[in-house]
Amino acid sequence: MPPTTPLIGRVVATELKPSTPHQFYFWTREDAAVGIGAIVRVEHGERTVYAVVTDGFAYADLSSPLYAVIGADGDPTHEALEPTLRTEVRLYSAAVLRQSPEEPLQPVPLGAVHLASDGDVELALRMDTYRNAARPTAIPVGVYAAGGHDAPVYLDCDFLLGPEAAHLNITGVSGLATKTSAVEFLLSSIFQTFPAHRGSVAAVCFNVKGPDLCFLDQPCGLTDADHALYARLGLAAEPFANVRYFAPHKADGVNLNTLRTHEALQANTEPLVWGLREVLDYAEVVMNRDDIDAKADAFIDFLGDRVVGKDFKDESLRGKPFRVETFADLEEFFRGIFDFMEAMGRGGEVWRTHHIATIRKVRNRLSNISTRAKGLVVDDGVANDLPWTKFADRAVYVVDVAGIDPLAQDLVFARVVSKLREHLERRDLGVDHVVVFVDELNKYAPADGPDTYVRKMLLDLAERGRYLGLVLFSAQQFRSQVQRRVVGNAGTGIYGRMDMDELATPGYATISPSTKIKLATLPKGELMIRHPHFTQPIFVRFPRPAVLSGREGVEKYPPAAELPFANAVARQLRQMDRALSTDECLDLVAGRAERDVRRALAATRRERPADVKAYFKAILGRRVDGEVARPRITIPPIVSSGDPYA
Amino acid sequence: MGDPEPWPGTTAFLDGTQRSEVVAYCGSAPILVATIRAAVLEREDRRLKAMILRERFLCVGRRVALDAAGDALAGLDRVEIDDSQTAHPVRDLVQAGHAIDEARGALEREAGLAYRMQRDGWLVVDGSLAEFPAAGTDQRMVAVSKSHSTLPFDGEELERYLRLPVGHRSSIFTPASRRFVPVRAWALRLWHWEGRDLLHGLVRVEVAPGVGTTERADELSRWILAERAPVSSPDKRWDRLLYGVRRVEEFLRARD
Repeated sequence: MPPTTPLIGRVVATELKPSTPHQFYFWTREDAAVGIGAIVRVEHGERTVYAVVTDGFAYADLSSPLYAVIGADGDPTHEALEPTLRTEVRLYSAAVLRQSPEEPLQPVPLGAVHLASDGDVELALRMDTYRNAARPTAIPVGVYAAGGHDAPVYLDCDFLLGPEAAHLNITGVSGLATKTSAVEFLLSSIFQTFPAHRGSVAAVCFNVKGPDLCFLDQPCGLTDADHALYARLGLAAEPFANVRYFAPHKADGVNLNTLRTHEALQANTEPLVWGLREVLDYAEVVMNRDDIDAKADAFIDFLGDRVVGKDFKDESLRGKPFRVETFADLEEFFRGIFDFMEAMGRGGEVWRTHHIATIRKVRNRLSNISTRAKGLVVDDGVANDLPWTKFADRAVYVVDVAGIDPLAQDLVFARVVSKLREHLERRDLGVDHVVVFVDELNKYAPADGPDTYVRKMLLDLAERGRYLGLVLFSAQQFRSQVQRRVVGNAGTGIYGRMDMDELATPGYATISPSTKIKLATLPKGELMIRHPHFTQPIFVRFPRPAVLSGREGVEKYPPAAELPFANAVARQLRQMDRALSTDECLDLVAGRAERDVRRALAATRRERPADVKAYFKAILGRRVDGEVARPRITIPPIVSSGDPYA
Repeated sequence: MGDPEPWPGTTAFLDGTQRSEVVAYCGSAPILVATIRAAVLEREDRRLKAMILRERFLCVGRRVALDAAGDALAGLDRVEIDDSQTAHPVRDLVQAGHAIDEARGALEREAGLAYRMQRDGWLVVDGSLAEFPAAGTDQRMVAVSKSHSTLPFDGEELERYLRLPVGHRSSIFTPASRRFVPVRAWALRLWHWEGRDLLHGLVRVEVAPGVGTTERADELSRWILAERAPVSSPDKRWDRLLYGVRRVEEFLRARD
């Protein structure tokens, strides 16, 4: 027996506006607490129909506006003096969410209309099938609210994180904290409620602008209303417990290229540094369409298979083998080839079947990586990467690429996602599911423009990732500007406040005009959700995430000033060993080549030795002090008279 | 007479409807079934709310015809028409129509009485007050008639009566040939008639004799003038049909 909720209206059907199995009309009192997005229950005998209000109409018993003018003697102020209010009808159209019994599927009967109760919302959205199952898979996403009544809404994690369906896409205008906040809240909800029987889950978030995701581990102040929402959803209002930040260096190779450089936040902020080995497999990312040809591919493959990381010996180049580990080594290798070919003179255009033009092109593109991605890619340093194979359950890994060159951003996306895919395929990542959050999707997977490596990669992730447990949470301002197959594969869609121009595009043709208006005026903290279990989109409210927003974070933890090289190194060493004094550190690096210091620092960071100073010093090598050359003491010439014959 | 003034306090509107159809013939005598309804809608804070609803379902015809129908008319109230003459399908229909009119009038009176038993606000009746026995003493009952089939004057007086300017009323008169109670009446022009017919916007107002003073007639006329809005469109009688009365009609028709 459905729970009792107030009767608010009755279904009406006429020849021109008949009820169908999927849509019907009902009228209400003028003051009925029903609006666009409200869920209602229709009862008629043994049949119960659940529906969501999609549009509203109001009209009076006036055949023409002219009679309103006549009645008011042409003066609009007179209308307020009319002794009787005109009869006005409030008519709503509603789209059916579910019928009980489901078969035979019939037009909606002329029944009484009630506002939905908690139980009704659960049934209407088919949440009973995954919330009350023996092995529940429900993830709270927000609270449905209408008529002073609210009910938690849950997503099915099998359809959010796979394997049934997967991926989530969020659309909304910028500046209303919708997209980032929604993802932060949803990730928190997933981490708190993802069922153990579905395995483990982690998230990799790309911070692509400003300080957006830089403070996920820092708590914020919440209002009572937010706390009430958390309580209603059965969630704890807490920041993420396990967050690790990775950011490339700035061009100096020691200062981090992120806004999360405050002293208090350094414990879980690490540099993201890659060497030649890490980027060679993704060279295609930095090539433009004209660059990509079979010859360049073949030469890059040759480098990867035969040269990099191996002893490569070619008597024609030089006697001793090449050991290419870094960009600097690679440059030396290329110099060897060019020297050989120049020495050959005419006929020296080909080396090992590779034409000199191809070799030069590949060399230019590869050396371009270390230039444009300086700070991320080092010529000669030691890599510091995400903890592949050691991902932790319920951990967030934030890769801050906001401050780096777009080409370097592409490189980071391509490599991180590819590595995730590789490890998930091998089942050795450390977790079973990984949520990858990419903001500004229209930039990385645009609807128009060249078919870049990153776009292809995101498409592949959207189409095949769910089988691996690799899930894409993406966001953008304009969904219409994103590759259709990427957003089309998102099983769950979230819509924040939208731009009317965007809503006028064909992708929103199925949304009613009133729902579009509601979307265009949606307040902060409200969303419209599409989910495979929901027959129609549903509006929900969600609390603000319990983490500092980017703006708040920067105010509370202002980024540290960029330090001179030696001081930046000292700060990093002191982070590893607080017993070290800044002066000690400065002494250690004084007079040393920056290249050597970077190498030693990277090695120390990777090793995390017990005695930081000793290890750093050992890697740095013995100091070779410079000396002022004293004038050579020689035997003075014999003073003579100047006459050689004297 | 002065400018229009909103009716003070609670006001109610009374009207009735009827619907009939021939369902059978007994020989040449028709048998009709009819639905008659009457209702009072009370206005409070500019909103109308149903207070009284009466309805009857009738079967109308000659006694022999109704008897012949037997159980087919079970549950319906019998209304027999005069059978002193031989049956005639047209004449009998006219008679049946009158019988239904009378039954509906009686139901209206019943509804009005029922309202008066409960409330003491002004009751606006559609039509004539003369058929309400209580009207003779009811000081808060007023009828507004759209019909001018019987005109009270002739000659120059009639011309003056029919050419009343908008917002004006005639002098008070006593209509002749009222069946139950004597009433006082006057004509009131609600809308400009120029360019239209003489009866456009012309209503006849009837009150109990005790209310028929000049001051009271002016006051009631001002109140009725204020009832011109909202206009009763899309009804073709919008120029004479008060919106409250129209709402009663709509309320009753919605039950058909």
